[in-house]
Amino acid sequence: MDIDGNDGASEEPSRQVQVRFVTKLKLQYKAQPASIAIPANATRFRLSNIVNNLIQKGNEDWEPEPFDFLIDGELVRMSLEEFLLAKGISIEKVLEIEYIKAVAPRKEEEPSLHDDWVSAVDGSNDGKAELVVLSYRYILTGCYDSFGRIWRAVGTCTHVLEGHSGPVTSVCICSPKGESVMDQTVATASKDRTVRLWKFDAEESLNQPKKIRAFKILRGHNAAVQSIGSEPSGAMVCSGSWDCTINLWDASASDNEGDIVSVKKRKKGGEHQEPQSEGEALSTFVGHTQCVSSVVWPERGTIYSASWDHSIRRWDVATGKDSQSIFCGKVVNCLDIGGESSALIAAGCSDPILRIWDPRKPGTLSPIYQFSSHNSWISSIKWHNKSWFHLVSASYDGKVMLWDLRTAWPLAVIDTHTEKVLCADWWKNDSVVSGGADSNLCISSGISVQ
Amino acid sequence: MKQRKQNEFKNGKDKAKVQKLKSKLEEETLRRIAEAAAAEESSDDSTFVSVSEDDDDESLSEDGSSISESGSEQSKLSNDEDVDQASESDNPSSGSDDDDDHQSGDSVRDRDDNDNYHGEDKHGESDDSREVVEESDSSEDEVAPRNTIGDVPLEWYKDEEHIGYDLAGKKIKKKERQSKLDSFLASVDDSKNWRKIIDEYNDEEVELTKEETKLVRRLLKGKAPHADFDPHAPYIDWFDWDGAKHPLSNAPEPKRRFIPSKWESKKVLRLVRAIREGRIKLDDKPNEKARLYDLWHDSSSSGRQGLAYIPAPRRKVGGHEESYRPSAEYIPTQEEINSYQLLFEEDRPKVIPKEYTSLRSVPAYSKAVQEMFDRCLDLYLCPRVRKNRINIDPESLKPKLPSRKDLKPYPTTCYLEYKGHTGPVMTISTEPTGQWIASGSKDGTVRIWEVETGRCLRVWDLGESIDEVAWNPLPELPIFAVAAGHDVFILNTGCGNNEEDKKIEELLHVEPQKAMDDSDTTASIVNWGQDDKHGGIRLKHFKQKLVKKLEAGVREISSIAIHPGGDNVIVGSRDGKLCWFDMDLSSRPYRVLRCHPKDITRVACHRSYPLFASCSDDSTAYIFHGMVYSDLNQNPLIVPLEILRGHSTTDGRGVLDCKFHPRQPWLFTAGADSLIKLYCH
Repeated sequence: MDIDGNDGASEEPSRQVQVRFVTKLKLQYKAQPASIAIPANATRFRLSNIVNNLIQKGNEDWEPEPFDFLIDGELVRMSLEEFLLAKGISIEKVLEIEYIKAVAPRKEEEPSLHDDWVSAVDGSNDGKAELVVLSYRYILTGCYDSFGRIWRAVGTCTHVLEGHSGPVTSVCICSPKGESVMDQTVATASKDRTVRLWKFDAEESLNQPKKIRAFKILRGHNAAVQSIGSEPSGAMVCSGSWDCTINLWDASASDNEGDIVSVKKRKKGGEHQEPQSEGEALSTFVGHTQCVSSVVWPERGTIYSASWDHSIRRWDVATGKDSQSIFCGKVVNCLDIGGESSALIAAGCSDPILRIWDPRKPGTLSPIYQFSSHNSWISSIKWHNKSWFHLVSASYDGKVMLWDLRTAWPLAVIDTHTEKVLCADWWKNDSVVSGGADSNLCISSGISVQ
Repeated sequence: MKQRKQNEFKNGKDKAKVQKLKSKLEEETLRRIAEAAAAEESSDDSTFVSVSEDDDDESLSEDGSSISESGSEQSKLSNDEDVDQASESDNPSSGSDDDDDHQSGDSVRDRDDNDNYHGEDKHGESDDSREVVEESDSSEDEVAPRNTIGDVPLEWYKDEEHIGYDLAGKKIKKKERQSKLDSFLASVDDSKNWRKIIDEYNDEEVELTKEETKLVRRLLKGKAPHADFDPHAPYIDWFDWDGAKHPLSNAPEPKRRFIPSKWESKKVLRLVRAIREGRIKLDDKPNEKARLYDLWHDSSSSGRQGLAYIPAPRRKVGGHEESYRPSAEYIPTQEEINSYQLLFEEDRPKVIPKEYTSLRSVPAYSKAVQEMFDRCLDLYLCPRVRKNRINIDPESLKPKLPSRKDLKPYPTTCYLEYKGHTGPVMTISTEPTGQWIASGSKDGTVRIWEVETGRCLRVWDLGESIDEVAWNPLPELPIFAVAAGHDVFILNTGCGNNEEDKKIEELLHVEPQKAMDDSDTTASIVNWGQDDKHGGIRLKHFKQKLVKKLEAGVREISSIAIHPGGDNVIVGSRDGKLCWFDMDLSSRPYRVLRCHPKDITRVACHRSYPLFASCSDDSTAYIFHGMVYSDLNQNPLIVPLEILRGHSTTDGRGVLDCKFHPRQPWLFTAGADSLIKLYCH
């Protein structure tokens, strides 16, 4: 059966493998399910050609598209023959190959230039009503020039968050999902030991970036705040700091706690300013012995934190005790929770290895995955929102890498940055945003994670 | 004469034949002959007794010959003779000769032989003579054996149909063997059949001649094989006794030979007297050894006088390339020969292979004189003191050190660089929490860096080359001191919050002093001044005061680091030596580590990890494991762990400073290449 038209002529007599292509993609991607014989030395590219040809048979106006192939839940990254040999799969049987869309950025957007190093980025405002909010999705960045910025799209900065006196170290969007785009709340942490909360209207269309001030300043840390995370509902934020503590803050704008003391000071200034309130920490988690480099609040009851004391801890919010700790022997720089049922811990340490733990696994506390394609410290890690398998990691070697748990090789390497990459995040589920020491915010779009 | 010679030949040949027979013929055959002979002898004894009596030697042979012709088959015998005759007449040319010889041989024999047996003898002789003619003068008197299998047991070819191969490579087939019945019948039919023997080796039937049967018989009786040989010949005394006049003396011994000598006893008396009188002293000591020595004694074993023998170095056995006519692959091309010129003299091949048509044309060795001179020079210059080498396994001398893997963590890889300085970075200092580092450079700037990202936070330009930067170890007061030129600056880092800033401001504000106080208080040795430009204090004219004297065994001390325990001091010196002092142990260094080829610029101790480091102008930094045990009996354990490279040498200076991160097993190094590097585990 000669499906592969152009390859048929030049095909040397090699071993054949009986395969059947299956997919979980939408109907238009479906190919005929008959089993065909293909040469065993076919690589990913050739397999992709074959599948495109197969789909074109059923659908004339089909645009060829790169695919990735899964055999037994593992991505094929070498020739089929080698893969089968390595995995010890018999080629006697009809092989079932699942194909998925290849995950790689199709387009590199123009970088958005900042005034200084981009230290933090967050693009996680995925509202519920996707169609409505889609155009109002924004990117929040923190910069070493002590400003936070809101970016509507590539190169269009809508808001500048003014107020910090030190470099912004971490940002997070803490609007509860489904809330209107009119009233977005974001939080920023800075080296000036404060956490600030900001409100803005994402719907505003502005020619000039609008400068806004924080509506709430959260003081309480004795050293630079290194990381910030918000509760899924957006009602609270937590922050990790160089003073080895994790503080919990109330993120709501309610003024009934009566912290208007500071407001009058601000009003002394000539121009009228929005009232600013100050907040105290609701509670403090003490336990880390060194700088808390990263905090994540994936669900209401638990906070995960990573620290320079080589540990990753899980905190119970209600009791303030750490219920689990993982020691990895190295300084942990970044942390994210996600993956399978949002339970896997991905962390980047002070070495080029990306480690993933499964805390549900009893007994051992060794990582279940280790990816080591980076050349320097990993500065940021983010799980994909929808997919269980996909990760993005940024490293000081200037590279952003896309990972799939089903293969040990990176899916894609984005090296648009010329300097250290300090932060990276997913945006709109199909793009990767990253900021680095070259003061650029790079957006790589067109990543089709299903 | 010729006949005699022939006889001798025959004798020798017979012997050889016997040998051959002995070896070749089966035992059974012999027995058969013996039996047959015995039987016939016994049967015919009566008939021939009278004849065989006179000569023992002859009788047997005659018996043998008589046996053959005994019995009733006279006619058959004559037939045989006829056949023989016929065969002889078949080749007339040689036949006449044969006959001549034959006749003459007979004539000689006839002296002893009885006329009775003449005819028989003649028959036997005819056989013999034919053989005589056939045999050659060579020692290989035999016809080459038909069998070519060589000296191997015949059993090996028992089941084969051939016995070896001929020259053409074809198999030599075995002859068909007579069945036993046939042979039996043949023996019954033919009275001579018993003489036929199968030669297993050559696979042919041999008919023994009468002579041969005689031989066999004689052998069986234990007599000399040939009848001609006389074992009992009379003794001939070859010595001529006629001229012997003086036979040996038979006189008795004289008396004087049994009497003690008078003169001897006199002499003994004289000696005894002399000893008694003391004229002769008996010396107990043996005489000195004669200065004689064994000329042919193996001199190498005993101590030699003079120069010690130094054997010439053993040369490698020459290979093909040293041949006067090596194969083509050994001969280098012109290019290769030219390339030898580029090599060092020591690396060049000793011999360049070259082809000569003959050994005759090989020229004299051109370097012979040179090499001989070199050898003489070597011998002349080489030290003559024999050093006894001790055979010690060098591995066993190595101290037993724990594996590096077990001593983790320690810094290994450089992950971060702090770029910004424009001159060599002279000094670095870490903030106590490890969030910041301060660095001072020769370009006159002091910078504060964020450890985590390598971001430069703040820059002070002091205008003078910075010698030293030190962060306040108290985390509440984020200030640091800078030594630049003759001044010390204490600067506010600006890393604190407002309250701290206020405190620092108060602290750093001093009243301007008018003049130096001459009293002995501590304040007197510094001159405080407000430094308005940078917002800090300026200390002027810092006087040195000796607190304690340390004894180090090195030339010039460049840096000191104190172990956090306090009892151990590490000293780095300008001659590349690193000394570990254990204060409890002694004032001398406990260990001296010679690792850097150039000056050690700085040594550092980690605050919490058992690590110490040294950095040097050879642009490397060494990491050591230095474990101090609380048990006083146990000496500190020092293990070299890692050499950190990465800095480049600029103006002859390498790494100028190294500091450990206060909390992590990381090392900061400041290089003359204006970089600061962070090495992480």
